[in-house]
This record gives sequence, structure tokens and C-alpha cells, in this order.
Amino acid sequence: MTCEEFQARLTALSLGELEPAEAAAAREHVAHCSECASGVLLDRQLTALLRASVVPAPEAARSSILAALRAEAARLPGRGAADGTEPRAAGSPRPPRRRHWVALGLAALTAAAVLALAVLLVPSPDAGSPLAAAWKSYHRQPVAAGTAPTEQVEHRLYAVLGPTAHTPDLSDVGLRAIGWDARTLAGHLAVAAEYRDAAGRRFMLMRWRGELPRMASAPDGEDDQLEVYRWGRHASAWWQTDGVVWCLIGTVDEPTLYRVAEHLARES
Amino acid sequence: MDPASFEASAVPHMNALHDAALRLAGDPATAQDLTQETFLRALRSFDTFRPGSNIRAWLLRIQYNLFCTEYRRGRRIPVVWLDEGGDDPALDPPSFEPGPEEQTIRELDREAVRRAIARLPEDFRMAVTLVDIHGLSCGEAATVMDVPRGTILSRLHRARRRLEAMLLPELGRVQADDL
Repeated sequence: MTCEEFQARLTALSLGELEPAEAAAAREHVAHCSECASGVLLDRQLTALLRASVVPAPEAARSSILAALRAEAARLPGRGAADGTEPRAAGSPRPPRRRHWVALGLAALTAAAVLALAVLLVPSPDAGSPLAAAWKSYHRQPVAAGTAPTEQVEHRLYAVLGPTAHTPDLSDVGLRAIGWDARTLAGHLAVAAEYRDAAGRRFMLMRWRGELPRMASAPDGEDDQLEVYRWGRHASAWWQTDGVVWCLIGTVDEPTLYRVAEHLARES
Repeated sequence: MDPASFEASAVPHMNALHDAALRLAGDPATAQDLTQETFLRALRSFDTFRPGSNIRAWLLRIQYNLFCTEYRRGRRIPVVWLDEGGDDPALDPPSFEPGPEEQTIRELDREAVRRAIARLPEDFRMAVTLVDIHGLSCGEAATVMDVPRGTILSRLHRARRRLEAMLLPELGRVQADDL
């Protein structure tokens, strides 16, 4: 085996993925080639370095995921059906299967068309706008459980936002506040509150004083109009009341977000 | 399907799933969402898991499929914003207190390793994550990524050579410490 052939098989050798005869030839080569032996050492050290780079899940994330898992397990019908259908009684005959292939095909085609249209039509906020900053903030700066601003910052928030700075109680719509803080969104002082529903899904509510920025390519609407948009698994709603912009973002379906947003809009 | 049995079998792999999600998604919040959704889907379809097979590989496959079908598309807009900011969320350290394991990793400049892995193309990064970091066999990784085993080997080989080039100072230091 030449050095070139050995180098081409180095990864497979390290992973034990070579055929026995090839592995024996590779070991024979490395026993007499100091350069390739050095390559093997380097490869092993790289593997050790990679294995050591595992980042454990933060405790808050673990707790939240476990809570969601247990809530889901409790919800499963009869704790036995994996597909959300009620389990059949023992001995009961299996219901006849319906084969509405044409209807299913049409439904799938329609869904695909709507999805494609939605992807094309969903506007994006201006990159420099507070809405863009709010999205970024939701993704990168979750509010940690129990977080609250200092008294000084709290005074400042109330001075700028008035009673709007107060974290709304959303228990009526099944959300539990876990913390709140102050942050800057594209130059605006904003207050952010984070909530969880019973399944552990995240909601973040942000408010700042300013004009409601228009989505790029979105039609002009009324100032107090509730706008709801969705990208992938994330949905967002925003509206403006008395010069304060409200922005609600959650990893939830659109109807759920809409229900929470409407409740907030009514209360505000 | 027994939820208690699912929890006992699957939850011990939460660190691996969260770590893989972080490397795929690039930010802690999305990684948490992706991990949670993976567990919920796995619970609902636990009946399809074949006892005796590698449950970590099964979970990682659900997670990878979920990422490809929903999260990658959903990331379209945030990715643009993050690029405009000039910083890469994959390179940001997660915000939690370091434990003893992390202290050890810090000695080897964990940040440099993560930075190097984050720079790999997604397919290479996933192959490294599955095989080198989380210990799947090439065959299992091939099933997760739905590609031939030879493709996984090829991606790993090329990824490793790139990583070696990027991490040469770190590897040199480890080598010197070993001597």
C-alpha cells in the first residue's frame, strides 16, 4: 500500500470501516511509515477533540422539554395510540379503510399550491426595522426563567412605555409568564416578556414606543390592525396601540397565536 | 405504547439531540424547539421503533428529517438577518453556567473546535456530528441522512481533512501535551 492509498483510507481505518484484508494492509503500511503514523495520531487526536466538544443541554431546556413530553404523554388517548386516534376496544373489528385517493391527491395538490403561494407572498420586514430586531431577539435571546430588570431599569421602562410596560397576565389563555427584561431593538427601548403554555411552547411579547414598521411589500393597513405572519414553525403578530408597538412571537400554530394576540389586543 | 418506557429509553439521549440540534440550527432557542419537537414526534410514533436497534440513531433521524422539512425552510428570513449582522449564531456560546465537562473542554479551546465545525458545509457538519461526535456507525448515519454509506465515509474524510487544517494549532498542542 502506498502513502497515497493509505491516506485515502485513513478515515475508514479509524472508524473500523475497512474490510479485514484492507485494514491489515493499512496497519502493515503504517508500521513502517513514520509520516503516515503521524497522520494516524493526528486523526485520533482530532476524534478526541470532536467528542469533547459536545455541549450538554442547558438545565432550563431539559426541564422545559421534559414538561412538554409529559404533557403530551398525558394527552395521548388511552396512552396507547401513537397517531392520535382512539384505541379500538379489544376484539372489536377494524373499521373498513376508506380509499379516497383522488380526494387525498387533490387536497395534497391544493395544499402544495397554497404553500408555494404563501412562500412567494409572505413579505419580509426591513432588515433594520425593530420588527427584524424583534425576530432576531426571539431567536437569540430567550428570557431566562425568573429574570426581571433592576429597579432603575424598571422605572425607565415605565417612564417610556407607561402602564404598557407591565407584563400582562395571560393565564386566561393558558400561558404562564416565566420572566421579563429590557432590551434594545433597533435603537428602541423595549420590554420583553416570555411565556410558556402547558406543552412548553414559547411565546415572547415585546413592546416599544414608536411607529409600526411596514412589512416590505405588505399593503398599507390601519394603524390598529392586527397582522399575523408565519415562517416555518414560527408565527408572529403585531399591532399598535397609543403609540406603542406590540409584537408577539411564538413557536405555535397560527390560530393559537391569533387567539393570544386578540386577547392581548382587547386588553390593551 | 408506554410513555414511561419511552421516557426511560429516549430521555438519556437528550444531550446528544440538543447538541446535534444546536449544530444544525445554529442558535439555542431553535435548538430547544427542534429537540422538543423531535421528542414529541418520537413519542407519538414510538410504536414504529424496532426494539434492539439504536434508539439514538432513530431519534437523530427524526430530528434530521424534521430539520430538513420544516426548520431549514423556516430559517429563511432569520438567516438573512443574522448574516447582515456579520456574526454567526453558531459561534455564540450558549448562555448557561459551565460544568466540569465544559471546563475540561475549555482547556482544549472548545470555542476553536465549535468554530471549525460550524464552518463546515451542512452535509459535512452533520456527518461529523453523527459519527465523530455522537458515535453512530457510518451505516446508521447513512440511514439518518438517507444517503449511501460510502457518501458518509467520503464526507467524513473530507470534513476531517478540513478540520485538521483549521485546528492544526490545537492538535499540535494536544500532541505536545501527550508527549
